[in-house]
Amino acid sequence: MNAIILSAIFGIVMMLSSAFVKNTKAYKSIALVGLILLLLANICETYSHAWLNIPTFDMLEFSRFGLYFNTLAIACTILFSAFSQREIERVGRYIGEYFALIFFVLCGIFILSSYNNLLMLFIGIEIMSIPLYILTGARKENLKSNEASLKYFLMGSFSTGILLMGIALVYGGTGDFALVHHGQDISTSIAGAMNKRMSFLDVAGMILILTGMCFKVSAAPFHFWAPDIYDGSPSVFTSFMATIVKAGAFIAFIRLFAIREEETTILENAIIGVDWKMLFSIIIVATLLFGNITAIFQQSVKRMLAYSSIAQAGFMLFSLLSLNDTAKEGLLLYVVAYSVATIGLFGILAKMKDYTLAGYNGMAKSHPTLAFANAIFLLSLSGIPLTIGFFAKYYMLMAVIQTGGYMWVAIVGVIFAVISVFYYFRVIWSMYFKEGTVELKYPVTKGFKILAVVMALIIILLGAFPQVILNFLYF
Amino acid sequence: MLSSHIMAAAPVAAQHASSYLPIALQIVFAIGFVALMIFVSALLGPKRKTNDKLANFTSGITTHGNARQPMAIKYFLIAILFVLFDVEVIFFYPYAVNFKSLSWTGFYEILLFVGLFLIGFVYIIKKRALKWED
Repeated sequence: MNAIILSAIFGIVMMLSSAFVKNTKAYKSIALVGLILLLLANICETYSHAWLNIPTFDMLEFSRFGLYFNTLAIACTILFSAFSQREIERVGRYIGEYFALIFFVLCGIFILSSYNNLLMLFIGIEIMSIPLYILTGARKENLKSNEASLKYFLMGSFSTGILLMGIALVYGGTGDFALVHHGQDISTSIAGAMNKRMSFLDVAGMILILTGMCFKVSAAPFHFWAPDIYDGSPSVFTSFMATIVKAGAFIAFIRLFAIREEETTILENAIIGVDWKMLFSIIIVATLLFGNITAIFQQSVKRMLAYSSIAQAGFMLFSLLSLNDTAKEGLLLYVVAYSVATIGLFGILAKMKDYTLAGYNGMAKSHPTLAFANAIFLLSLSGIPLTIGFFAKYYMLMAVIQTGGYMWVAIVGVIFAVISVFYYFRVIWSMYFKEGTVELKYPVTKGFKILAVVMALIIILLGAFPQVILNFLYF
Repeated sequence: MLSSHIMAAAPVAAQHASSYLPIALQIVFAIGFVALMIFVSALLGPKRKTNDKLANFTSGITTHGNARQPMAIKYFLIAILFVLFDVEVIFFYPYAVNFKSLSWTGFYEILLFVGLFLIGFVYIIKKRALKWED
């Protein structure tokens, strides 16, 4: 509750400071202070010091997993705002508003990590998405940015409509919006008794919700929006959308299906004739196939990263196939690994003049520090040992193998991980083994370089000791 | 025997898809009726077309020009802001109905709601969104 309310308040504070504070340099400092306070408040709540105890009537439920995810999301946002503060200032005139919208997106993500009611799922998705439509079109004079914003808005609202239809059908099938009932005897309440019975309406609703959520996490076959929108929107906001927001959507996704699996048995699903695990394995294989194969043919690094984010979403979907404890731990690791690496890559990309692969030629000679950091980020994304990306992929595959019977999905995953190495290494190849001069659009400060190296070190250190992240989940 | 079985199942029956049958029937009838009426009146009604009858009728004034002309973006801004504050008023209706039963708790909550809207209003004023002349 701390995080939800404070993030909304800080959003309003940023909004007002953009109206009253004249100094444009001050916004990022206000935002950073707000984010750090948010982080502290959330950590306080994790260790049972909730400052605000507002009765939510079972609409929200704050679990350790959700709160810890909030902490990771805020930490990644701090990293993001610190690393690309200059780029946010360069997007347009409304700097304070950009930070306000980022706070509102975070508010939506916090709701998504703790909802216990399908209505809250819908509200969370909306609070998360609507500011993003604006951020996508933040570069007003740029036609591509406008196009991306309109496309995102139309398709996003359409998918939200499908999600809402799914929620309505689930309500029709079970007579209940709640995921879990607390504090009342389920067997006596009519809604609880019905919850146990699977009906076709219920299953049809869940499939529609699955469709809507697959759109939000850009899983195939609902991924078509992702490349255009990631390519068109300003690079800073692409990195925010592709990392923290996508992770938030994944948390909502896994929360819904994990709780649902506890509520219904495999037998009940079999009676209806829906094999969710098979459905998820088809989605995973399709996502990995589309993401990886199309990424190979991209010449623009920004577009390649957009397709690679689809491919990475395929890997994160492994957690939805297995839905066990390893999968939850793996998802947290994956969020950190993927977010840190992608924020770093996009942060450096935003400084460059030429987004194509040729633009990276000879970076190791002219900017050795940035090239080193870039190389570490790419190694982590491709899952090379001694980086956190390796352990993230390892946990995901282990979770699938623990499920049993889905070995073939794990094997397909490994094959596509190997394919992904090809296009990540192509960037490293052009940085280190090709001649050329890298032209930067904006000067690189010393602080930026230090932060890039720090992020690379985080990736290596966590790759050596991945338990550091997971320990906080339990202690 | 059968009827008693149905009676027993009555509270549970709400979840079956078959209980939506009346709604489906109503939709079919509604669409069918409208389609039939349009079709039949087009078939039976007399048609005497003249130039005057086919022209656009705008309260007696002769039309000139195309309606799809660019207009100032400020109209849209004002319209959107109007919708925002208009919807705020709609939220007062359920509050007004439950004014007594919600007592002071409800009052504080509606105060919070209006307060948030006022902050938005201050923001709009400060950002000069309502400034008509530039």
